[in-house]
Amino acid sequence: MNRYSFAERTVHWLSALSFLYAAFTGLAMWSHKLYWLAAVFGGGNATRFAHPWAGILFALVLGVMFRSWAGQMRLDREDREWLLNSHRYAMNQEEGLPDAGRFNAGQKMLFWFQSLAALALLATGVVLWFPEWMPRTLRLIAIALHPLAAIGAIALIILHVYMGIAVVPGAFKAMVHGTVTQGWARAHHPKWLKEKRLP
Amino acid sequence: MTPTVVKLIDTSLCIGCKACEVACQEWNDQEFTIGTFGGTYQTMPDLAPNFWNLIKFNERETDGGLSWLMSKYQCMHCGDPGCLRACPAPGAIVQARNGIVDFVSDNCIGCGYCITGCPFDVPRLSPETKKVYKCTLCSDRVAVGLEPACIKSCPTNCLSFGERTEMLRVAEKRASVLKTDGYAEAGVYNPPGVGGTNVLYVLKDVADPVSYGLPKDPTIPWSVVLWKGPIKWLGTLLLAGGVLGSFFHYLKFGPKHEEADDDEPV
Repeated sequence: MNRYSFAERTVHWLSALSFLYAAFTGLAMWSHKLYWLAAVFGGGNATRFAHPWAGILFALVLGVMFRSWAGQMRLDREDREWLLNSHRYAMNQEEGLPDAGRFNAGQKMLFWFQSLAALALLATGVVLWFPEWMPRTLRLIAIALHPLAAIGAIALIILHVYMGIAVVPGAFKAMVHGTVTQGWARAHHPKWLKEKRLP
Repeated sequence: MTPTVVKLIDTSLCIGCKACEVACQEWNDQEFTIGTFGGTYQTMPDLAPNFWNLIKFNERETDGGLSWLMSKYQCMHCGDPGCLRACPAPGAIVQARNGIVDFVSDNCIGCGYCITGCPFDVPRLSPETKKVYKCTLCSDRVAVGLEPACIKSCPTNCLSFGERTEMLRVAEKRASVLKTDGYAEAGVYNPPGVGGTNVLYVLKDVADPVSYGLPKDPTIPWSVVLWKGPIKWLGTLLLAGGVLGSFFHYLKFGPKHEEADDDEPV
């Protein structure tokens, strides 16, 4: 059965690629110990040049993603209950957890945190991009807030990638091909399956 | 041990001849850009990527008159340079053992972080080369035992150059002379917040460096300290923790069931 449309998958993978490009070039400039990453991206100057453009692309794509998904990402009462018991989800003991809809509460939280981080990264990133034109106070705030938002976003993406590839078999395939089996839907998103069957 | 070198600027002796500006441009082989006239005696309104040494004619109104507080605006060669702390490219900013803080253009990636890191607002980013430039304290001259070009050209001994302890002694002596001349607040500008500077000023009024265009109690910007300290630790913890945590989570709990038992009719 269909889970993600072609448009949704395109937006997801564009955001993923631009995020990874911005993240790795950013990590190169974040710490001297990771500066070797700059060589992978064509040297320090190329890294400095490409990082903001990758960031702009990421912000644009995330804007599109936000428009198409924000409505489905609202947290309801069951989601809150799910979050309070998320340690059980983490230990693969789903019995008693509220049934997840198209997106479970964890995915919804990821969506909101990443959107917030993207907004912060865009705002502070533009400030750091043009230091000669920006007031000093703004630059001082940005130079601390930008890496802070970035490590938060990267940490969540590590979790997201790990879960999508390793913890939930079939999830990666769903994001590539767009389809899942009904058994998969019943195991991971039972409420969504019911809603799909209603009409 | 290599002695720390210091440029001493006795602002009370500056006559505003701007010979040091010309010497700086000549020695560093910089083209002179024609700027705008700002209604003062200053050559240029500000430092530029190709203009590293500006004599500021700070105007101060006195009883029925005007006096100039001369100051020389250039890199301060801090003991603890904010630019160096903020720089993400290893080897783009170096602090030599003699105290000179130098920019190495080959390693500079043009991000401009040093501009934010500098408490004195000295580095300038060139839009053409996408590199940052500032006074080198003529590291190329000092390396072969010569004094910096600006020092060489100064006709009034306002500028002098030498070993740090000796220059500090000379500076204190000049300040005490100024005090006996009636400048009770005369003193040496050597801000401790940036680990002292290897460009020292003798000011007629050391309690009011701002009138000379110098910041009072400059420090390394708090946000650069935050980024290079706690944020870096937190980041290392989260990123390494995320990867290791995922690894051990997988070993302990493994994947979820791919499909629910398909016993109920679809």
